[in-house]
Amino acid sequence: MPSSAEPGAGMTRPGQEQATVRTEPPQEIRAVPVRHPGRWLAAAVVLLLAAMLAHTLVTNPRFQWGVIGHYFLSSRVLDGLGITILLTVVAMAIGIALGVILAIMRLSPNPLLSGASWAYIWLFRGTPVLVQLLFWFNLAFLYPRISLGVPFGPEFFHANANSLITALAAAILGLGLNEGAYMAEIVRAGILSVEHGQSEAAQALGMRRGQTLRRIILPQAMRVIIPPTGNETISMLKTSSLASVITVTELLYAVQLIYSVTFQTIPLLIVASLWYLIVTSLLTIGQYYIERHYARGSARQLPLTPWQRLRRLLFTFHAPPPEPPAQLPAGPGR
Amino acid sequence: MTAQGASASLPDPSSAPMMVRAEAVYKSFGRLQVLRGIDLEVARQEVMCVIGPSGSGKSTLLRCINHLEKINAGRLWVDGELVGYRQRGGKLYELREREISAKRAEIGMVFQQFNLFPHMTALENVTEAPIRVKGMPKVRAAELARELLDQVGLQDKAAAYPKQMSGGQQQRVAIARALAMQPKLMLFDEPTSALDPELVGDVLAVMQDLAASGMTMIVVTHEMGFAREAGDTMVFMDDGVVVESGRPRDVLANPQRDRTRSFLAKVL
Repeated sequence: MPSSAEPGAGMTRPGQEQATVRTEPPQEIRAVPVRHPGRWLAAAVVLLLAAMLAHTLVTNPRFQWGVIGHYFLSSRVLDGLGITILLTVVAMAIGIALGVILAIMRLSPNPLLSGASWAYIWLFRGTPVLVQLLFWFNLAFLYPRISLGVPFGPEFFHANANSLITALAAAILGLGLNEGAYMAEIVRAGILSVEHGQSEAAQALGMRRGQTLRRIILPQAMRVIIPPTGNETISMLKTSSLASVITVTELLYAVQLIYSVTFQTIPLLIVASLWYLIVTSLLTIGQYYIERHYARGSARQLPLTPWQRLRRLLFTFHAPPPEPPAQLPAGPGR
Repeated sequence: MTAQGASASLPDPSSAPMMVRAEAVYKSFGRLQVLRGIDLEVARQEVMCVIGPSGSGKSTLLRCINHLEKINAGRLWVDGELVGYRQRGGKLYELREREISAKRAEIGMVFQQFNLFPHMTALENVTEAPIRVKGMPKVRAAELARELLDQVGLQDKAAAYPKQMSGGQQQRVAIARALAMQPKLMLFDEPTSALDPELVGDVLAVMQDLAASGMTMIVVTHEMGFAREAGDTMVFMDDGVVVESGRPRDVLANPQRDRTRSFLAKVL
C-alpha cells in the first residue's frame, strides 16, 4: 500500500518520499520561436484570393443580388424548399428503417435471408439512382394495374398504377429504396463494430436475441452509424434535386420553372444554392448534438457544446480555458 | 462440502441433484478438440477452482455450462436439468431460445474482460437484466442494484460509466450485475487476469465474501492463494481433460500427476 504523501507532493515512490521536495516554483522556458515565412506567404495568397472573390461578388452586376433578394423568400421557392425537405425526411426515414432490417437480415444465419439482403444491396447500389427514379416514374408501363391481395389468390384492392404512383410517390420510392441499400451497409458496419463480448454478456444474463440487439448492440452501434448517416442525409438533401427530372417541384425544379420564364438563370440558381447551404448547415448542427448524445460512456468527459465553449471563451478573459475536472477513478473504494 | 474426484464413479441418482454434473463432455471447434471427455461434479454451495495452462479448455467448459457453447458429445446437467436439451422418451430435443435464456438467467457469469455495457452507468448495468428479463419494477431494481453496489464496495459509483472506473471497480460492478439476477450458480472466467496487480485484492475479497455466503461457484483462476483460501475443490485441467482433482491444499501441496507438478512448478 503506498503511504499517502502530503498533497501536492506529486509523484513519489515508496522509500523516496523525502528524497526531493522542491520549494521554489519551476522556471518557465523562454525561447525565440521558429519563424514560418512559408505560412505568411500562403496566408497572403489566400487573403488576396478572398479579396478578389468579394470584389467580384459586389461589383459584377450580373449576379443581380436584387433578383436574388426578390425570389429568396417567394412562395414558389419556399414551396419547393418544403418539398425538398419532405423528400429528404421521408426518403431517409424509409432508408434507415429498411437499412436496419436489411443489415439484420444480412447478419442472419439463415442463408436465404442474408442472400436476399445481399441481392437487394447489389441491385440498388449497382444502378444509378437517376435510372431508378425514372424506372419508378414509368412503372405503369410494366404494371398498369397494381393490386393488393393473397399471393396467387383473391385480391382485395387494385388501382391504376399511374394514379397510385404520382411523381412525388415515385421520387420517395426511388430515393428511399436506394438509400436503404446504403444504410444497410452503414448499419451492418455499426453492428459489427460492437465487441462480441457485449452480446455474450447480455445472453449470459438471460437476455433474448431481440432484447440484446435493441438494448445493448444498437445503442452502441449508433456511435458508428450516426456520422455516416448524417453524411447520407446531407447527400440526400442534394440528391433529391434529381426528382426535378420526373417533374417533382422541389427546390431546383421550382427555380427552374421561374427562370425558364424570366431567364434570370444565375440569380435563381444562387437562390437554390443558398437554401441548400442553409439547410445543410442546420443538419450539421443537429448531427453534432445527436453524436454527443450517443457518446455517453465512450469518453470520460463529454466534449463541450459550441455554446458552452463560447461562454467559456468570453468569460475567462484571455486566461487559457481551465481543463475540465478530470473524472479519474478515485482509487479502489473499499 | 464435497471433495469427490472428477474420476469418481457414477453418482447415486437418489441423492439431491448436484448443482453441476458433467459426464464425458466433448467439445470441438472444427478439427480442434478443446474438451475431450470431462467428468465432474459440483455440489451445492461448493466453490470449485479450475486451474490449468492456457488452451486447456477451462473457459470453454464454463461457457458450455451456460450453453454459450454447444457440446458435441456427453451430458451436462445444471441443478438436475440437462443443459440445452430436453430428454423425452430416449430422444433429445433442442430447447427454444426462450427456454435457454430462462436457464441462463439463473446462472451468473463474470468475464475476464468484464464486458460491462459501456453506454450505461454502473447502476443501469446492474438493473438492466432484472428489469428486462425478470420484469422487475424499475424502482425495486434500482433498490436492489444499490444494495449490491454497496455489497461490492461501490455505493458511490452508481452514476459512473464503466470508462470512468478502474478495472477492479468495473469487475466488481460486473459481479454485482450477475448477482442482481439472484443466480443459483456463479461462473467466473479468470476474473482477475486482466487487472493491475494492486486491484486484484478488491475483486478477490468480494468473491471470498460471496463464497462465504454459500454461493455455488466455479472459478477459473490463476490465483492460487484464493483457491487455497476459498476453494472447496480444485480441478487441474490440461489438454481438454481433468488431470487431477481434490482439495486445493492437497493438490497444491502434494500433486499426484507429473503434469500437475510441472504446471504448479511454473506458476507457484
